[in-house]
Amino acid sequence: MIHVERLSYRYPGSTQEAIRELSLDIGAGRLFGLLGPNGSGKTTLVSLLMGLLAPRSGRIDIAGGKGAVRAALVPQEYAFYDRLSVMENLRFFAGVQGVRETGRIAEVMETAGLRSFEMIRAERLSGGLKRRLNLAIGLLGTPRLLFLDEPTVGIDPQSRRFILEAIRRINAAGTTVVYSSHYMEEVQTLCDEIGILDQGRLVARGNLQALLGSGRGGQLSIGLEREPPRSLAEALHEYEGLKVNGAELTLDHCSPGQLQRLFARLAEAGLDVSRVRYGHADLEELFLHLTGRQLRD
Amino acid sequence: MRTLLYLIRKEALLLVRDWHALVLLFVMPAVFILIMSLALQNRFSAQSGVHIKYYLLNRDAGAADADLLKGLQGLNGFGALPATAAEPELKARVRRGEARFLLVVPRGFTAALASDNPVPLRMTATPDASAAVYRLFQSSVREVLARVYLKQVMHALSDQRGKDAPPLPAIGLDEVDRLLVSESLYSRGGKTVFPSSVQQNVPAWLLFAMFFIAIPLSTTWVRERQQGTYMRLRSMGIGAMTLLAGKLVPYLGVNLLQVVAMLLVGVFVVPWFGGDALTLGHSWPALALMAVVASFAAVAYALLVANLVTTSEQATIFTGVANLLMAALGGIMVPRFVMPQALQAVSHYSPMAWGLDGFLDVFLRDGGLGLVAGPALELFVFGTACLVVTGLFMGWRRRR
Repeated sequence: MIHVERLSYRYPGSTQEAIRELSLDIGAGRLFGLLGPNGSGKTTLVSLLMGLLAPRSGRIDIAGGKGAVRAALVPQEYAFYDRLSVMENLRFFAGVQGVRETGRIAEVMETAGLRSFEMIRAERLSGGLKRRLNLAIGLLGTPRLLFLDEPTVGIDPQSRRFILEAIRRINAAGTTVVYSSHYMEEVQTLCDEIGILDQGRLVARGNLQALLGSGRGGQLSIGLEREPPRSLAEALHEYEGLKVNGAELTLDHCSPGQLQRLFARLAEAGLDVSRVRYGHADLEELFLHLTGRQLRD
Repeated sequence: MRTLLYLIRKEALLLVRDWHALVLLFVMPAVFILIMSLALQNRFSAQSGVHIKYYLLNRDAGAADADLLKGLQGLNGFGALPATAAEPELKARVRRGEARFLLVVPRGFTAALASDNPVPLRMTATPDASAAVYRLFQSSVREVLARVYLKQVMHALSDQRGKDAPPLPAIGLDEVDRLLVSESLYSRGGKTVFPSSVQQNVPAWLLFAMFFIAIPLSTTWVRERQQGTYMRLRSMGIGAMTLLAGKLVPYLGVNLLQVVAMLLVGVFVVPWFGGDALTLGHSWPALALMAVVASFAAVAYALLVANLVTTSEQATIFTGVANLLMAALGGIMVPRFVMPQALQAVSHYSPMAWGLDGFLDVFLRDGGLGLVAGPALELFVFGTACLVVTGLFMGWRRRR
């Protein structure tokens, strides 16, 4: 649905590019997570995809054109009017988009759980309800492509769960969702495909499980209680790619049969295994591996 | 078109719920008009029945000329108070400001009036009497003295000419008034009247408040930019020009509402508090034209301010300072005709001066469309220039 090729963007007056040579494909109906620390370029990328910023170079193709697929943006800020009620905000944003179906406002209120708050002014809503209203406004035009920019920032866990559930339902109904966040747990539980942004570059993209098991994360790591004796260490070289580093063994490729034999050998030598790990534990570690920095830096 | 209607409705709802803005746009000018009209009433209508008080102490009792006393008791524009105390006490009262002047007719004044050694009248002014009022009072007393003196001289001449001489022309002293016919071009119902302070204050404070529309407009616009609402609306495919029109039209309506409200204050509320009623002139088309172009200029200026500033605080401070300067220069606070020549020349660069000129053309000079065309064109050009710069600035910012 979205095809991005060698996209670059630099803010006027800035010496650094906010987006650098970024290429990306997002298929129709996917729930794509755009992960990266604050300042990594997520909002800029979303703005470029929405056509709110003009790229300096590169191409963005959205199947059928942005207008044809009815794209909508839910920005990070509470982008509505505090002095208007929930209903007045929804009526206004529906009206300016030309949404005429009277039932649509009721539907999005139902989806966002705002039914009981329709007459309350937005300024009096809690942070969680404001986030829901922000989401509801984005849904008014029945978008086929929905950009969500940090939709759960600063809210309580209950509201967060509600919003994540709502996003799942929206995606299940056929809407392609691009979910930008720096909350790795959310992206990990919500998205089937992710892209990791760092300093304007897409440092990784693909299926979440594949990414967690990719690169150095594809190694099997076995921690022993103590260092193996020299004779055993030399004997273990029969396993291709096995390295002994103190009390830790690492193995690039290993079949289940080989693994079984290796554990038997260690047991015979009286060496207890303290831990076994395969792949990356989570996105935090993957990000650390890819960039050398913490995701929350 | 429907999008524009939704934008207008939204702005109206936001404004109605912003009581700070409503106070600024409607209550502030109404209060200013009321206070300033009543406070300046005396100054503007010094010759229409409102008197400056003074004590008249006649110590020449019995001998004083009847014409003299009559004249001194009825000084035009001044009101005599009965002198119920001795001269030192009356002087003390004048010092305290209980009356503006003390006029003492000394003993033997009438007898010595036409002699070589006259006994002069004594005039004492309160410490805060302005030079203009002091000289006006002095001139009024001199006029009475001149008449009485002339009468005495004529009597003396008659006596010297003997019985056989032809009589002098029988010109009564009051007949002198027949030698001067005066009129003001500001007349109502065929009678010569003088404009009251309300004629100046209503258009002046109305214009002042109209330009303050920049504060609520900028605050809303800045908040829309900061909260991402502007970006959201743009992402919904709403053009920048539609958004601009969505501000221009409703705030134009608010300004026109201000015009109607402040004119009603001038016509009905000020008289209710004891002031003079505003008279609107006779050209409704000229008044309507001035109202529309002044509103257009004020809203276009407000849109420019709203786009130049980045925070609500900047909007409030900039508008406050700029409006005060425009008002001070434009004759809102001090009428332009009392300004020095050089300042008057500079004052012509204030849009508020153009607006005030136009409204005064209608209210004071009974002007029609032809007379207000000049100031109306100036305001229109100013408003259009503000809109063009706003459009260019929005384009530049989008490119950035």
